[in-house]
Amino acid sequence: MKTFEEKWTAWLDGQLTGKELIDFEASLPDKAAAEAEKSEAHKLGSFLKEQLGAQALSNADFFSHQLRERIATETATQDQPAFAWLRRGEHGERSTRWTIRRLVWSGATSLAIFLICAFLVMREKNPGEQSEYLTQILNTRVDPAISPNATISIFETKQDKVTVLWTEGLQSLPSDYAAR
Amino acid sequence: MHSRLLLIAACFALAISTVSAAETAHIVWSGLVIAENVQQPTPIPEELTRMEQTLKELFGYNQFQVIGQSSKALKTGDEDWLASSKFFALHVDAQGESDAGYTVNLKLYKEQELLLETDAKLSKRSPLVIKGPQVGNGQLLLVLVVDAGNEQAQHHRRHASDQSNPVVTAWRHLRRVIHDVLP
Repeated sequence: MKTFEEKWTAWLDGQLTGKELIDFEASLPDKAAAEAEKSEAHKLGSFLKEQLGAQALSNADFFSHQLRERIATETATQDQPAFAWLRRGEHGERSTRWTIRRLVWSGATSLAIFLICAFLVMREKNPGEQSEYLTQILNTRVDPAISPNATISIFETKQDKVTVLWTEGLQSLPSDYAAR
Repeated sequence: MHSRLLLIAACFALAISTVSAAETAHIVWSGLVIAENVQQPTPIPEELTRMEQTLKELFGYNQFQVIGQSSKALKTGDEDWLASSKFFALHVDAQGESDAGYTVNLKLYKEQELLLETDAKLSKRSPLVIKGPQVGNGQLLLVLVVDAGNEQAQHHRRHASDQSNPVVTAWRHLRRVIHDVLP
């Protein structure tokens, strides 16, 4: 024995026939309102079928695409394992390889390496520049008791960057002092 | 990823240390030179060839003979040494290395007598020539050169070894590029 709700659902679905249909429709207090409600239920059913059917198709495509990508990536990985990491990155199998975080880290690392290089180069550049400076005479002393009239001057030659300490008036010595 | 970064850092540090090691340790040549005018001058000593023209123009002599010399490899920058002839002695006392070169104290002795004393910052690319006393018809000169004679050989040797070392070569290229880019 079906309850009223069961008969109502079967009537909405168009599954009541014969005497059972006639008896049920006769038992309805307002047949016009029931027909209107049946029509609304049909419309809602059609709408839901349409929406749910489209989404199911989208998901199927998505999963199919994922499977194809994975198969292609694994095939490529088996062909050339040395470049596996690169191919994974290219095909996007592991989307985490070039995430924003990794890109930021890569950029920061590159920048740090560049700054270290620049610092070292600049540090070596300064000695290089200073080594091009001419030799500097800081101070000079001549014993006034030995060479009382000695004078000293300093200059540099442009050609060979030779620094010259030029003395005048030092004690002259005989040629014997030129011995080795 | 961390292990890869460590590997890169290690390679980088190794390259830097290689380059730095290749550019340390200088040889300072110090010499007592008698400049004279003679009819048939002997060839100028190898250590003085790079400044031959300057010496001739400055002092007006055509022959330069070494009567005493010493070559010293500076490792700590605090070494001292003596270049001496029969009557003269040049005492060189290195007193530390700076970015510009070596600070040296020079003392010229005639036998036991101190004739001249000077302090100088000796630059690698700038030889030092001191005009000493007149000796007979000639002139005593004191000459100090960093890496004299060995400079070219060292340069060629270093250049050859650097050419065979791709890391050092790459580093030099990088330095050149950054030098060109930075003001």
